Amino acid sequence: MGNNQVFAVTDAFVIVFFIIFRECLETTVVVSVLLAFLKQTLGEGDDRTIYKRLVKQVWWGCALGLFLCLAIGCGMIGAFYGLGTDTFSSTEDIWEGVLGILASLIITIMGAALLRVSKLQDKWRIKLSKALAHDQAPNETRKGRMKRWMEKYVMFFLPFITVLREGLEAVVYVGGVGLGLPASSFPLAVFCGLLAGCSVGYLIYKGGRETSMQIFLIISTCFLYLVAAGLFSRGVWYFQNNAWNHIIGGDASETGSGPGSYDIDQSVWHVNCCNPELNGGGGWGIFNALLGWTNSATYGSVIGYNLYWLCVMIAYAMMYYTERYGPIPYIHPAMRKLASIKGRTKAFVLCQHYEKDGSEASTLQVEASGGIQHSLVADEKNAGGSSTLMQRTVTDS
Amino acid sequence: MANSVMSLLAHILALFMVFKSTQAKTVTYDFNVTWVMANPDGLYERKVVGINGQWPLPTIEVDQGDRLVVNMFNGLGDKSSSIHFHGMFQNRTNEMDGPSMVTQCPVAPGSSITYNFTVEQHGTYWYHCHTDYCYPDGYRAPLIVHDNSSYFHDMYDEEFTISMSDWYHELMEDITFISRTNPTGAEPLPQSFLFNDTTSGINLSVEPGKTYLLRLVNIGAFVAQYFYIEDHSFQIVEIDGVYTEATNASILYIAVAQRYSVLVTMKNSTEKNYPIVTVADSQLLDTIPSDLKLNSTNWLQYNASAPHPQANITVASCTDLDPYDDMNLVPYDRMELLPDPDLTIELTVYMEDLDNGADYALLNNISYTAPKVPTLYTVLSAGDLATDSLVYGEFTHSMILEHNQVVEVILNNGDTGSHPFHLHGHQFQVINRAPGYGAHFYDFADGDPVAYDPSNHTAFPEYPARRDTFVLPPQGYFVIRFVADNPGVWIFHCHIDWHLMQGLAMVMIEAPLQIQERVTIPENHYEVCKAAGVQYEGNAAGNTEDYLDLTGQNKQVGWLPAGFTTKGIVAMVFSCISAFLGMAFISVYGASGIPKKKPEATEPVDVASTEN
Repeated sequence: MGNNQVFAVTDAFVIVFFIIFRECLETTVVVSVLLAFLKQTLGEGDDRTIYKRLVKQVWWGCALGLFLCLAIGCGMIGAFYGLGTDTFSSTEDIWEGVLGILASLIITIMGAALLRVSKLQDKWRIKLSKALAHDQAPNETRKGRMKRWMEKYVMFFLPFITVLREGLEAVVYVGGVGLGLPASSFPLAVFCGLLAGCSVGYLIYKGGRETSMQIFLIISTCFLYLVAAGLFSRGVWYFQNNAWNHIIGGDASETGSGPGSYDIDQSVWHVNCCNPELNGGGGWGIFNALLGWTNSATYGSVIGYNLYWLCVMIAYAMMYYTERYGPIPYIHPAMRKLASIKGRTKAFVLCQHYEKDGSEASTLQVEASGGIQHSLVADEKNAGGSSTLMQRTVTDS
Repeated sequence: MANSVMSLLAHILALFMVFKSTQAKTVTYDFNVTWVMANPDGLYERKVVGINGQWPLPTIEVDQGDRLVVNMFNGLGDKSSSIHFHGMFQNRTNEMDGPSMVTQCPVAPGSSITYNFTVEQHGTYWYHCHTDYCYPDGYRAPLIVHDNSSYFHDMYDEEFTISMSDWYHELMEDITFISRTNPTGAEPLPQSFLFNDTTSGINLSVEPGKTYLLRLVNIGAFVAQYFYIEDHSFQIVEIDGVYTEATNASILYIAVAQRYSVLVTMKNSTEKNYPIVTVADSQLLDTIPSDLKLNSTNWLQYNASAPHPQANITVASCTDLDPYDDMNLVPYDRMELLPDPDLTIELTVYMEDLDNGADYALLNNISYTAPKVPTLYTVLSAGDLATDSLVYGEFTHSMILEHNQVVEVILNNGDTGSHPFHLHGHQFQVINRAPGYGAHFYDFADGDPVAYDPSNHTAFPEYPARRDTFVLPPQGYFVIRFVADNPGVWIFHCHIDWHLMQGLAMVMIEAPLQIQERVTIPENHYEVCKAAGVQYEGNAAGNTEDYLDLTGQNKQVGWLPAGFTTKGIVAMVFSCISAFLGMAFISVYGASGIPKKKPEATEPVDVASTEN
């Protein structure tokens, strides 16, 4: 009764093209945002040399990321073929789930940072140019040096990490999907995917240069967040899909996109088409990558998607409030307290005396002993209760 | 005068002779059905359904014309049961047919039922439990009707009955099958295949030069068997109780519930023993576990001291075996092809996931769901409304056949598996099938199903073979005909018990008004209903007032929604709203910096403009 999902060679092009296009687009969006930012903050005037340097850094980051992901990717594909089994496909869903949620968190933090960067444009511009223009101070601490170094090369690391991540994802997907395909079907599809992804990215970049930076950043941040929300929801979806695969003891996608390919108890909606998972998904694959579309939504994926946006809203509302009216009552002190508890725990774990605030340490002790006393009292109560119970049984008998 | 006296005497003598030869006796079996322990495959000891403390179960043997009485006491304690005498016409005794909720109530633990009917047929049959899914737990055995006047009676020296079946280690009730966790409806895999209820190797002691009649019965629940004997061919003389013209064959494909009788003539030397080979049809299995033994070897034992070689299987897959196509057999009575039908029933088999995520089987759009009142009892209590199929419920898939109509059933297969279909109460003519047995049997399995086209089909045979269980090819079709001359309620179903469980069945209500005239339910059968707490009057919903009111009838699980339901639309709208709200928050936060920074933000632009 099993359906065989046999990829035709003609499908191979579509699959590989869309995977590459998807990943390439995600990369170019990030790179173009960075380039647009550089162009608009440092593109004119006396920052010209710094601007060129930073642009160079961005490209270096891209190039190095690409090189590294190719190297790792080759190794991975070699390993896949070497193993000769689809060991990987059994954990594919977990892998994709983890990657999706991780990518979503990275994009979220990056997006917030980008918006902040635009707000503190000049401060950053000065900071950036300072960091890049000056040599290191002779008597810096190691931590400071590291921070300065990271700041100096931030324009390198952002594209580097992005390219590396998306590239590895592409390698993994193409490697996973393409194991059964003839090798000759790859180059043209990869090339077309790269070309399409880069040209769309370039268009975004061009558009970014002409609009005012703030509006461009708002739009591109919204766009990034849409992608991130989709990734988050997709990550949750993959975990659930993995669980479902375990329940039915096979790969659910083997049953196509029809009944049986999903857990009916978890399903919120399911349409027997438009599956972004099969054959690269076609247009639905892009829809999935950009907006998190799925033909088979689960409670997890829908709740995850909405929860993501809820968190984003709360976080942005808090940031907005903080900026306008200062620290938020209850929440900021609570966060500070949390940070200090963390510090204390760390100190306790490391068996070091917590020196920063002696009085705090003593209150902790008092609290601790109070807790013990309390539990002792509770014990006594229990003991009392049981003894009365015993008495009662004695009298009963 | 003397002449006339002589002729009268001769007449009396002749009458006496006839009486003597057809003297019918009554054969009575008392069955105390209880759980016993058995380990037929030597791998696992399990609980099986035993009769009088024994398992394997006794083979019922009667002569043609005998009255068979079976008194069954259900001592299982936790399970209802019944007995169906597979292949018996039960003409005028429809109530003795055995399927629960069709012609009787399930026999609850602690109650007894008596089956009592005349065996007017001859040949090889079997009996099995026909309540829910009880016979794979061991409640099945052959039923042989001997006939001294068969045309081949003098052509053999001795006979053997051979049963084959699949075997499960788990009790049926412990096997998860119809479940959302089995959305493809993969049938549970048997753990072994039995030959005469064992895997230890049967030796049929034979003598050189003699001819034997082998009665082959597949009493399994799921898997069909290929059958052949190394270096021996045989002649088919009977299928499902119908004598056929002796036809040479070397390989048979015996689906569950099918029977073949073959004549095998022994070689003249005693040097060697020859393997009798049965090969399970692994095409039916979803996966083939490495420890499942598909082939089994038993022997024609010419010489007990000679070696007993294992079967030498020369094919890589059972599909390479080329079994004899039963469509080509000619019944010995040469009954001609029935005329064009008065009623044509066109059906298609589908396997689909319904609303609970589990896989069900459907004929057209109905998955058989048992009614609240056994259908035969509805016929008897519905009066004139018995001719209205509505009273039998919407989900029993009941069809009314008029008395003596020629009925044609066109069965198309929308599923990629093969299905052995069985019609109770009849031996139907098999007049068309595609693809036939052999190399092309799986030709339609990949691709789209092929439906029967009445205007374009291969010629119908002049003397079509008749049988009671016929295999429907993967995504192919078959066409059968029969005369509705046996008033009764007859279930037509796939004999793979898993598929019956999934609802692959329908009910033929043959001549309901004649049923009312001919059938009387014995008091004992009503007591069975009372003990089981099952209604024995009323329509399918148990309504005795208004037979056309089906409120409360048992229904099949609803259809799986194909697209967005309310839940999905709400989720989608909420997701869109939160995405837009989220973006609004981002935008407000992002834009909130603009007015404050405006004077500073214009600075680089100014610089640029002055430079230009």
